Amino acid sequence: MRWIRRLFQKSRAERQLDQELRFHLDRQIADHIATGISPEEARRRATLEFGGLDRVKEEVRDTRWETHLDNLFRDFRFALRSLRKDRRFALIAIFALALGIGASTVIFSIIYNGLLNPFPYKNANGISIFQIHDLDQAGVGGRGAFSVHEFLDYREQNHVFEDMVGTRNSRILYTHHEGAMQLRCAKVTPNTFEFLGVMPILGRWITNEDGRPGAPPVFLMNFKFWQEQFSGDPNVIGATLILDNQPATLVGIMPPRFQYFGADVWLPLTLSGAPVGNNNPSGQREFIVAEERRKPGVSLEAVAADLDVIAHRLSKIYPRDYPKRFNVWTDTLASDVVGDFKSTLYILLSAVGMLLLIACSNVANLLLTRATTREKEISIRAALGASRGRLIRQLLVESFMLATAGCVAGCIFAFGSLKWVVAAIPADNGLPGEASVTLNLPALLFAAAITLLTTLLFGLAPALHAVHGQLQTRLAGSGKGVNANFGHGRLRSGLVVVEVALSLVLLIGAGLMMRSFFVITHVDLGFNAKNVLVAELSTPNGSYNTPQKVKLLYQQVLPRVAALPGVLAVSESLGVPPYDFAESETTVPGRSHSEAWRSALELCSEGYFQTLGFQAMRGRLLSETDIDSARHVVVINETLARKYFGNDDPIGHTIKFNIFDELPGGPKDTYFEIIGVVGDFKNAGLQDPPMPQAFLPYTIAGFRDRAILVRTSTAPLSMIKGISQEIWAVDHNIALAQTGSLESFLYRFSYARPEFGLKTLGAFAGIGLLLVVIGVFSVMAYTVSLQTHEIGIRLALGAQQTSILTMILTKGMRLMAAGVLIGLLASYYLTRFIASQIWGVSTTDPLTFAVVVIVVVAVGLTACLMPARRAARVDPLVALRYE
Amino acid sequence: MTESKQELLRGTLDMLVLKVVALGSSHGYAIAQRLQQISKEFFQVHQGSLYPALHRLEDKGWLRAEWKQSETGREAKFYSLTKRGRRQMDTEVVNWGRLCDAVGLVLRALEKES
Repeated sequence: MRWIRRLFQKSRAERQLDQELRFHLDRQIADHIATGISPEEARRRATLEFGGLDRVKEEVRDTRWETHLDNLFRDFRFALRSLRKDRRFALIAIFALALGIGASTVIFSIIYNGLLNPFPYKNANGISIFQIHDLDQAGVGGRGAFSVHEFLDYREQNHVFEDMVGTRNSRILYTHHEGAMQLRCAKVTPNTFEFLGVMPILGRWITNEDGRPGAPPVFLMNFKFWQEQFSGDPNVIGATLILDNQPATLVGIMPPRFQYFGADVWLPLTLSGAPVGNNNPSGQREFIVAEERRKPGVSLEAVAADLDVIAHRLSKIYPRDYPKRFNVWTDTLASDVVGDFKSTLYILLSAVGMLLLIACSNVANLLLTRATTREKEISIRAALGASRGRLIRQLLVESFMLATAGCVAGCIFAFGSLKWVVAAIPADNGLPGEASVTLNLPALLFAAAITLLTTLLFGLAPALHAVHGQLQTRLAGSGKGVNANFGHGRLRSGLVVVEVALSLVLLIGAGLMMRSFFVITHVDLGFNAKNVLVAELSTPNGSYNTPQKVKLLYQQVLPRVAALPGVLAVSESLGVPPYDFAESETTVPGRSHSEAWRSALELCSEGYFQTLGFQAMRGRLLSETDIDSARHVVVINETLARKYFGNDDPIGHTIKFNIFDELPGGPKDTYFEIIGVVGDFKNAGLQDPPMPQAFLPYTIAGFRDRAILVRTSTAPLSMIKGISQEIWAVDHNIALAQTGSLESFLYRFSYARPEFGLKTLGAFAGIGLLLVVIGVFSVMAYTVSLQTHEIGIRLALGAQQTSILTMILTKGMRLMAAGVLIGLLASYYLTRFIASQIWGVSTTDPLTFAVVVIVVVAVGLTACLMPARRAARVDPLVALRYE
Repeated sequence: MTESKQELLRGTLDMLVLKVVALGSSHGYAIAQRLQQISKEFFQVHQGSLYPALHRLEDKGWLRAEWKQSETGREAKFYSLTKRGRRQMDTEVVNWGRLCDAVGLVLRALEKES
């Protein structure tokens, strides 16, 4: 403090002020003496006229700004002292605030760094995407990939974009001396890197030169891939790698955060080539995903309007690619990438908001308790001349110090827990890969801002309450135990009710998520996913593109894998059930229908049914001979039989899948004979009813890379090495991709997201409940301490201990009941906002509501019990002597 | 508290103080005496408002203060008007005149009506 005084030359100013005023006073005395009064009387009169040296000094000081600073400083010191005196109170308050502020900061950093500002690209907020949205389909979004011609038309004809880039996202086979590896590859239009504005850390960009037809093939590499595969060796620049059987030169390494399309390698995409699709060996038309930077000041709506015109023009040229009724739907890149996960984040944001409110009402409650015990102190200070404003400021400074300490502790808590929360975010369908979620400056500023906000939120009401009414008359009372002075009892009870209600809402939210998670993880898949290994066999482009070649490959691979010890069954499949399948329009001779009949197709070998564990319900399953001779037979599922054949027995009927007419290497105009019916399984994802599905011999068509399913007797992942050796023994150039147990795929695609919501919301609800326990406990303990005198009298007059216990518990339970009631009503209206997050349970699931109410009441009762028992054990003699 | 009253007086007190100091540099006591003389005891200037006013005007740079020997030989803090203070005084006097005229006008008009 002394240095600050010296800094402001305070002592000198003080001395001079004293001198100045004394001069005045002395002159006045001298003047009085001159009129002939005795010196004592002159002094008395002058002092009276002057009106008190110190008061004048104080008023002069008030004109100086240093004084205000000094007062604030003094307030801080005082607050620190008084908080230190009541350490338990301070610690509980800081703890509650730390939890509230910490949790809010965690969620804010995820939203800020993951959704609002995830990309390390130049002017990333100006980047948007557009999709063709079918107006006859529910939901938002639609087709976001375009043929080369469409892409070029949109690029040339729009009036709203500064620039537009395109990416063809695919996989590429990297052949090295030890074997082959499938890489994630993004072929990007050559302007992409300038568009994104990210420099490679080594080497150079892909430029327009690299995109010219006939230019030597080059590529850029992902930092992580470079570290893993080349141990970060800088000399690898300029090296030639074999990608899809073609040599390409590595020209640059991108920085670690650059994860554009999640690719391992980026290659230039040449747009001026011949129409894509016809000369493409895999037979599928290839599409380009477009991203654009809007011209400054152009809104998403303006983009949609401009592109709508182009899209409707294009729909006349390519009628097959556009729905009957459509519009153009636009979104920012970040919002599009985060997708549905947005709603999870916003729900968590509102949850932490509630948590913060609980923490604030908790601390407000504690402050009110303190204000009551400090009534006397405050009254004395008011009597000594502290103005109301000064007292309020003093109390707010105290609150601010609590909040600041809470903020610091909260930031530490956030720093520690952020890692865990980020790790729990689902890897698929979560945040963009580029996002780096840390406790950065915006997050810290946010923490500081909510600290100020909470100070007012929890500090203002108690401060106003503390100085409310006639302060002086309070001195007359004892300041403790006077029930007439129990003015803020209602406010305190109100705060507890609010806390209970809020925590009930949080718990019900978490409860619904828990129920929903349970339902999802216990969905009857219709097949046995345990101990099944999936591996996609990534083949070099074009080497296995006829039915004969595919058959040749799998007829060697399947027996070899089947012969491995620990393998119970093996099959070929199109991909990971229940997520990967082909879809086709379906024709059944002799049956007409107005809407399109669509079926899921699986191309498999005879081991498929045994591997996934289902049996024929009618007819027979595919046999080895069916597969060998690629017979045109098909096994269908129950839904297909019911939907397309009604009550007729489908066995022996024929069915056609129109997709084969369009695919190169597929059986054209072929009708398949139905030989058997199997039970349904969840072939359209866990949450949707099964689709009609057909199982065909894989040997009938040659399109697309296939996968193998292996049922094992031990942990499936331990078999990978043996299986890949068998596969490489057949063809050295095949890479295993998308390898994992079926259960791990189920987790990634179906369980991870609900689990994240459940874990985070559950944690927040748990913290909320903990705060409620503290809140209820402190209010009840305080009430008991206020009523000790009364209880003493009651006991002395012969009241039973149990009746005292009941009295206290009733009071506690009344508060709980009010809170529970309000919480239930609020939940009833609020849970509809988490409808997108839960599945298989109603948002007003009575069981969840009931269980949560029981939990809250039980916990609240426990929190009341301890103060109540203390009340019942009051010794009347001691209690009465108390006064 | 009589804060509203003080507030009302503050502006006029500032103007009067500036006007008094404009006559020549003087110390607080002399200023107080002078104010009292001129106003013919019409209003009493409390030290509780005079000294804060002096310090405030000094802070604003309208008054300059220096320690000089007073007529009794004792050191006293003498205030004198700065250039900015003179300009401020002039505007305040003009404004005050306007205010008085306006209030007078209103009062006369109301008198006529009644």
